[in-house]
Amino acid sequence: MNISGILVVVPPARIEDATRELNALPGVEVHHTEPSTGRIVVVQEAETVEQEIAALSRIKALSGVMLAEMVYHVFDETPPEWDAIPAEMAAS
Amino acid sequence: MELSRRNFLKSGVAAATAMAVGIPVSRIASAAAAETEQDWRWDKGVCRFCGVGCGIMIATQDGKIVATKGDPDAPVNRGLNCVKGYFNSKILYGKDRLTQPLMRMTDGRFDKQGKFTPVTWDQAFDEMAIQFKKAYEEKGPTGIGVIGSGQWLIQEGYAMTKLMKAGFRSNNIDPNARNCMASAVAAFMQVFGIDEPPGNYDDIEYTDTVVAWGANMAEAHPVLWQRVIDRRLGHSDMKIVNITTLRNMTSEGSDLEIIIKPNTDMALLNYLAREIIQRDAVNQAFVDAHCVFCAGPTDIGYGMRATDKFAFAAEKDIQAREVEVTLTRDEAIGLGLDPEQVHTIKQANAATADRHWLVGFEDFKAGVAPYTLDFVAELAKGDAEESLDAFKAKLVRLADLYADPKRKLVSFWTMGFNQHVRGTWVNEQIYSVHLLLGKIAEPGNSPFSLTGQPSACGTAREVGTFSHRLPADMVVNIAKHRDITEQTWKLPPKTLNPKVGSHITKIMRDLEDGSISWVWVQVNNPFQHVANANHWLKAARENDNFIVVSDAYPSISAKVADLILPVAMIFEKWGGYGNAERRTQLWREQVPPPGEARSDLWQILEFSKRITLAEVWKEQAIPGLKDEGFEEGKLPDVMAAAQEMGYTPQMTLYEALFETPQNKAFAWPDPVAKGHDNHTVKQLGVDWFVEKALFEEYAGFGRGHHHDLAPFDVYYQDDVRGLRWPVVDGKETPWRFNAKYDPYVKNGEIEFYGGAMKELVTGNLNGPTTEEKTKFPGKAKIFFRPYAAPVESPDGNYDLWLCTGRLLEHWHTGTMTRRVPELHRAMPSAVLDMNEKDAEERGLKRQDAVWIESRRGKIKAVIETTGRNRPPRGYSFMAFFDESVFVNKLCIDATCPISKEEDFKKTAIKIYKV
Repeated sequence: MNISGILVVVPPARIEDATRELNALPGVEVHHTEPSTGRIVVVQEAETVEQEIAALSRIKALSGVMLAEMVYHVFDETPPEWDAIPAEMAAS
Repeated sequence: MELSRRNFLKSGVAAATAMAVGIPVSRIASAAAAETEQDWRWDKGVCRFCGVGCGIMIATQDGKIVATKGDPDAPVNRGLNCVKGYFNSKILYGKDRLTQPLMRMTDGRFDKQGKFTPVTWDQAFDEMAIQFKKAYEEKGPTGIGVIGSGQWLIQEGYAMTKLMKAGFRSNNIDPNARNCMASAVAAFMQVFGIDEPPGNYDDIEYTDTVVAWGANMAEAHPVLWQRVIDRRLGHSDMKIVNITTLRNMTSEGSDLEIIIKPNTDMALLNYLAREIIQRDAVNQAFVDAHCVFCAGPTDIGYGMRATDKFAFAAEKDIQAREVEVTLTRDEAIGLGLDPEQVHTIKQANAATADRHWLVGFEDFKAGVAPYTLDFVAELAKGDAEESLDAFKAKLVRLADLYADPKRKLVSFWTMGFNQHVRGTWVNEQIYSVHLLLGKIAEPGNSPFSLTGQPSACGTAREVGTFSHRLPADMVVNIAKHRDITEQTWKLPPKTLNPKVGSHITKIMRDLEDGSISWVWVQVNNPFQHVANANHWLKAARENDNFIVVSDAYPSISAKVADLILPVAMIFEKWGGYGNAERRTQLWREQVPPPGEARSDLWQILEFSKRITLAEVWKEQAIPGLKDEGFEEGKLPDVMAAAQEMGYTPQMTLYEALFETPQNKAFAWPDPVAKGHDNHTVKQLGVDWFVEKALFEEYAGFGRGHHHDLAPFDVYYQDDVRGLRWPVVDGKETPWRFNAKYDPYVKNGEIEFYGGAMKELVTGNLNGPTTEEKTKFPGKAKIFFRPYAAPVESPDGNYDLWLCTGRLLEHWHTGTMTRRVPELHRAMPSAVLDMNEKDAEERGLKRQDAVWIESRRGKIKAVIETTGRNRPPRGYSFMAFFDESVFVNKLCIDATCPISKEEDFKKTAIKIYKV
């Protein structure tokens, strides 16, 4: 389970709506807001890096979002089992 | 993870995020952040991906990366990461990570047709050395090659350069940066006599205007793009222009979008130069004091082979243009010739494309005179559905922005300029525009070449890992530069080979024609990223050669190799990168590499133990060598001179080049490590600090010579987030060539002090008219370069343009970012972006699977007409990250004849339903 801290910036007038819309997204929680600048800190939880990226795209797609970028990333996926590759590397 | 702990962790992450970007939080929240992080070891690092060079902080626990965060103290990114930031931890832990050497074998012995079999490091190096000696004995220094990288760490690139040039006496070493930045490099050298930009990223916060030329910054450089957008939010007069061949994400944030046809950027820049003169907007005092005017030959070819011996049948018509070409009507007009006549040109200057000479201002003015608004608008308008008048108005608006003396302006460019059959010219042209205006080398006024790889500057360019380069902007074909290098490296005179080696595309061609039969690839994926791949894949697998690939994952290049060496990645080793604004950043080893994976540096040093001086410093044949002071076609035996210097014939290259008394003086362990490990040193079994010794040895080349790096330890100080060279008396240099900021400026307020090519003959646009050379120290060159058509354009058969490039979620060939199956799903397979009407016209629609065919090959892909790239009619776009949709099988391997960088942006294709 990975967790990332994301900075979202919206026009200050939209901060309440944006907070509500962000909280409605799966795995996303708004933790801090700064009404004067429109800055919002959200934490999102996802199984994998890929899901985190997809979720970030959803945040960026919300109306009025001027910026949404990852700041903090806690990487807690299942430790890898190293494959010994020679199986002719034919997978793809 | 249990729920309460997870909730606590989230509060901590939220608080730490807020604090990183300067949002105040409560004392309880900040305590949560501190507690979350208390068991982790934090250290600073640099993002592994693009050339922006964002600072990150890395947390480790029990030998694993557990968290990363944008570094709030990093001036580049100020706490933010883009999407690729997620991969800095993930890339180390892909399931198919290579962890042991693999060799093609049958019945326990090497066999080129055999299957990959795990071997020990000793077996791997033994076979590698046998094969090396076979190629080297038979063909000499030109029979081997190394394909390196703009992702090489500084020390890795330096060690390999030294091994190849001083040890093997071969200049056949070239980085993938050739195909990324070489045009920018060639233009920097020709215009300024020194590589890399005058300005830096801080120009964004000082400027009134950003013009992106062939640079989709919103996708490829998102953190810098964010700074551009932020500037506009805080600065009402700020204007952003996107000059592009298709509508893309950067268009969304721009005030003005100008869609042009391929290669017409050159015409547009000449229009700007003409307008600046017509409007009397030339900064005459600046030009008089700091500039000269130049021109060069135009019959320079397209960097293809001059023979069609190896061409596929379908390629031959285009290949013939390397010998002779008939000018298009627009080219004739742009050269001031009569467009009603037929002009057939022999490519007489293909091998001397970089020649140039001084001309007068009146010559320059006459050169740009044909580039009127009417001519350029008609030629350049890229969207058939836009009216000519609307397009003209945009060009005038662009000229208004450039010519306004009160307006500060930054021009950014990347691959649209660099990957261009006239890449060096178009880079030179943008400098011409800025120099005419004097908008350069001061805060907010900056022509700025962005880079695509994290150390294209720091390693490929500054270390000099190109086939013509030595460290600190020196080159192999200047005797004085070889002398300096031989003295620094303590080599006998004439050890270094004066003949420029094979660039990356030529190494591939050499493999195909058999002149190279041993290649070592490090930190890149050339069999996927070099254009016209069908030729090179066949050469690698079917010719009698031996290909070694050091890689972390089974990339296409690893799969075509004969021997795969598993590597330690980024934070599994000590290293350093240099970003696009001359900022050098170093980091410590954070976690151990998995299994038997070892650093590229360890591999270079271990391999060097297997070659003795007697094998390399004897007389060597170099076909075509004709340099003064050398017997034709030969490098001399230098062993006798070497013995006088204390070397012995049986000494290994490791002992002679790396484990020198000077280097051994840097002891490991070293307090700068602060408890961090060093697997390279450990596996070598030595007590000297290899990375520090090599960094300091390398830095010796640049100190006092315009390229000063700080001492190794300084970069590891807690209060340092990289430093922009030259670092003189402990101070970095934000703007070069400007006396206010740059201690190397000795004469006046502005001085373009780069020393290369600052003495030339004089002539006119047609050629030199004198033999007497004039010196012009301290000045920059304003080049006239005419419009040139692409080497290949759509016709009745191949009727669509194809441009290739990068997408936000994936990086380059996708070896690292495409690892993760889940990630792959977001962008499952490369799609062909095309105009809906072009699709309809061919009886196709969105999501149809199609064959895409060029003269060089065909591949299958899926059509997209509503994606975030929206090509105009006649144009299509495809990303190059996906090995299952192998776009470089289609692309032409034509290059800029000066820079030798391939043009991945202009291939003619046809498409039809599968």
